[in-house]
Amino acid sequence: MSANAVIEIAGLVKSYGKFPALNGLDLTVDQGQVHGFLGPNGSGKSTTIRVLLGLLRADGGTVRLLGGDPWKDVVELHRRLAYVPGDVSLWPGMTGGEAIDLLGALRGGLNEKRRAELVDRFELDPTKRGRQYSKGNRQKVAIVAALASDVELLILDEPTSGLDPLMENIFLEVIAEAKQRGTTVLLSSHILAEVESLADRLSIIRDGRIVETGTLTELRGHTRTSIHAVLQRIPPEDEMDAFRDVRLDGAKLTGTVDSNRIGEAMSFLAPYGIQSLTVEPPSLESLFLRLYETDTPAAATS
Amino acid sequence: MSTMLAGAAPLLRTTLKHDGRRFAPWIVIVTFLSTSSVLVYPWIFPSQQDRAGLAAAVGGNPAVGLIFGPAFDLSTTDGFNAWRSLALGGFMTALGAIFVLTRATRGQEDSGQAELLASGVLGRASRLLVGIGLALIGSLALGVIASVLTGLSGGDWPSSLLLGATFTATGWMFAAVAAVTAQIGSDSRTANSIAVGVLGVLFLLRGFAYSIQAPDWTVWINPLGWMTQTHPGTGNHWWPLGYALALTLVLTTIAFTLQSRRDFGQGAIAPRPGPARGKDRSTWRLAVRLNGGPIIAWTVAFLALGLVFGYFATSINDILGNDSNVSQMLAAGATTPDALIAAFIVTILSLVGIIAAIPGVQIMLKLRTEEMEDRVELVIATKVRRVRFYASNVILALAAPTLFLLIAGVLIATLASAADIGVDFGDAVLQTVATVPAVWTIIAVSIAVVGARPQVSLAAWVGVLSSFVLTLLGPSFKLWDSVLAFSPFWHVPNVTNSDADVWGLLWITLVTALFLVVGFIGFRRRDLAR
Ligand SMILES: Nc1ncnc2c1ncn2[C@@H]1O[C@H](COP(=O)(O)OP(=O)(O)OP(=O)(O)O)[C@@H](O)[C@H]1O
Ligand SMILES: [Mg+2]
Repeated sequence: MSANAVIEIAGLVKSYGKFPALNGLDLTVDQGQVHGFLGPNGSGKSTTIRVLLGLLRADGGTVRLLGGDPWKDVVELHRRLAYVPGDVSLWPGMTGGEAIDLLGALRGGLNEKRRAELVDRFELDPTKRGRQYSKGNRQKVAIVAALASDVELLILDEPTSGLDPLMENIFLEVIAEAKQRGTTVLLSSHILAEVESLADRLSIIRDGRIVETGTLTELRGHTRTSIHAVLQRIPPEDEMDAFRDVRLDGAKLTGTVDSNRIGEAMSFLAPYGIQSLTVEPPSLESLFLRLYETDTPAAATS
Repeated sequence: MSTMLAGAAPLLRTTLKHDGRRFAPWIVIVTFLSTSSVLVYPWIFPSQQDRAGLAAAVGGNPAVGLIFGPAFDLSTTDGFNAWRSLALGGFMTALGAIFVLTRATRGQEDSGQAELLASGVLGRASRLLVGIGLALIGSLALGVIASVLTGLSGGDWPSSLLLGATFTATGWMFAAVAAVTAQIGSDSRTANSIAVGVLGVLFLLRGFAYSIQAPDWTVWINPLGWMTQTHPGTGNHWWPLGYALALTLVLTTIAFTLQSRRDFGQGAIAPRPGPARGKDRSTWRLAVRLNGGPIIAWTVAFLALGLVFGYFATSINDILGNDSNVSQMLAAGATTPDALIAAFIVTILSLVGIIAAIPGVQIMLKLRTEEMEDRVELVIATKVRRVRFYASNVILALAAPTLFLLIAGVLIATLASAADIGVDFGDAVLQTVATVPAVWTIIAVSIAVVGARPQVSLAAWVGVLSSFVLTLLGPSFKLWDSVLAFSPFWHVPNVTNSDADVWGLLWITLVTALFLVVGFIGFRRRDLAR
């Protein structure tokens, strides 16, 4: 699609035996972007990432990564990217420090200064052995190992799922710094707040397909503002086109309004004497929840 | 006590349902071993003359006796079955019991499954109890199935039942051994290795004690010796099984005591902090590091094996001289002492080679474990090529066994050549080297399996198992050469023969290469961790 796309996936299909994990996934991530990759459990996030890393072979569709083929050009591509798995498993007898150095060396060297700084900031004890680390600490080891190298692309699969809020803040800072250096980031997550504060664009995946993609504002455009008003006179129900899901309880009105029709809604209500009014800003949470619900049709209307 | 064991009954039921079938392969192997002896014996050895010939062949190659133990009476079906199945069948049952128990206790702790269970209504001791229960029930089922089917196949009932009982008793004793090692080792792999190590040492000591006609007490201090002393088919003594029961009880008690003293997920030995910086910076170093512990342990084992077999070789003349069948053969000029001794050296080195392949297969299977635990993906996500990564492990899996075989071979050569039995040091070392390609072939089977079809990881053992069966059992079974040729060890030339040719070695090397290609292509092309 775009000339400077770092990740370009079109029509990706991948099945585990007969079970289709991905069916026709499209995803584009531009250079220098932080791209949030959201979706419910089992929707195919990790599978997509594992195809991008050349761990799984695509059954169909095209996948381009940093201008190369993730299955064929493994060495050239992996030199330029770093990965944090969702469920970090470390070698039981190897210390965290040793694991960081091993992975750094296998990637082609790491930035010593940044390594020391990251170990410090994440308050990581590098002398513990793999089996002694807690889940969050195992994750920190993988994060330090990935971020200590100078790479163009970071692929992070739910990197904060085990971190405490303090460490999560540090993680967000560190990713923001990486972004400043010009690093592209693909960040899969369940936590909207995390993605909201960092991501330039979002893609939402469900059942192995992208159901929404766009910038935060674009996605917000798809969401609705909720309005609660107490009026003096009861408005006629058949004239309220601006509203959706309106409910009138006497003169009490509740309903939602598409973001681009708020003005229209306000001018409609004004003549009926507004006594009190609460307007809830559109939240991604609501979009997120709406898309997550399995029984509603996936594609949102706009 | 009742709260300690809360929840054990429902857990045992579910565990039996899910892990019970892990015992099935062992049941099949042991039952096959025992029923096939009974079915085939009258057919292959119809006359007393054939049977005496078998006895002579067995007596003439003491290496066979090391594995199968003493042949008390090869002239009856049940005597033959006892000789062929008792030691090996017990060994297999014990392996099954050890693996099942370790998996149900230590393995679950490593994987975190146990934590999920422990947080439920489950007493502290329940999980160990369930593990032991699973191993005991499995061994019992194995004994019952094997003995009943052997009886139905034509075995004498009392002998068949006693033989089955020795399988069960061996399984029980080693379930208890594994229950103890599961408390000592810091993870399931260590726990398994210690238990299997104990089994291996006791197994060889039994064969050794009988072969060199060591004093009686050397048999009686060995729990596996009790099993042989039941004499199925020749004496039918049930009482030694009582010792096995007592030992099982004692070891189980020790295991529960140890378990109540250690912390969840920890061994008796607490790990210390390690280095903050790492020196291992290549896939090769990683492979060596991950397999370092077992490699050191196996090196010690092969030093011991070399000494034992070497010492055994020095007493070969006595052993052969004590066998009346062999004396007759020698007197009749059917063979010469030199030929017997040369054949013995070939067999014993093949045996060492087959044992040496085990750590090789283990190294390949360890790689599969690493893959399933998502640690290979960390490495492959760096700029490491898959082929290179696989090669590091393959080279180690081929090199370590080569080293082990050479260690034992040189020791055997040294001891045998010093003993004035007509063995030349150079010849024996050369024979060791000639055995190496055959070891590679059976390891290559596991390289192909892990590379191309890791889902059937049990198939990785096919090479080791079939070579073992064909090399040790084949000749006394009068199998056709075309069948025997499936074992790569059949192609190892006897270097003391002037007309020995190396074509066989070239052929099996070609097969090795083929397996390697399959393994490498498979590993390069397949999805990881599936
Ligand atoms: N090795 C496998 N074999 C069979 N099915 C698998 C395998 N791995 C994943 N799946 C299935 O593929 C689907 C997608 O899994 P994936 O791990 O990509 O989900 P995810 O979006 O990462 O979920 P989560 O948020 O829970 O991490 C799931 O339904 C899962 O059950
Ligand atoms: Mg996932």
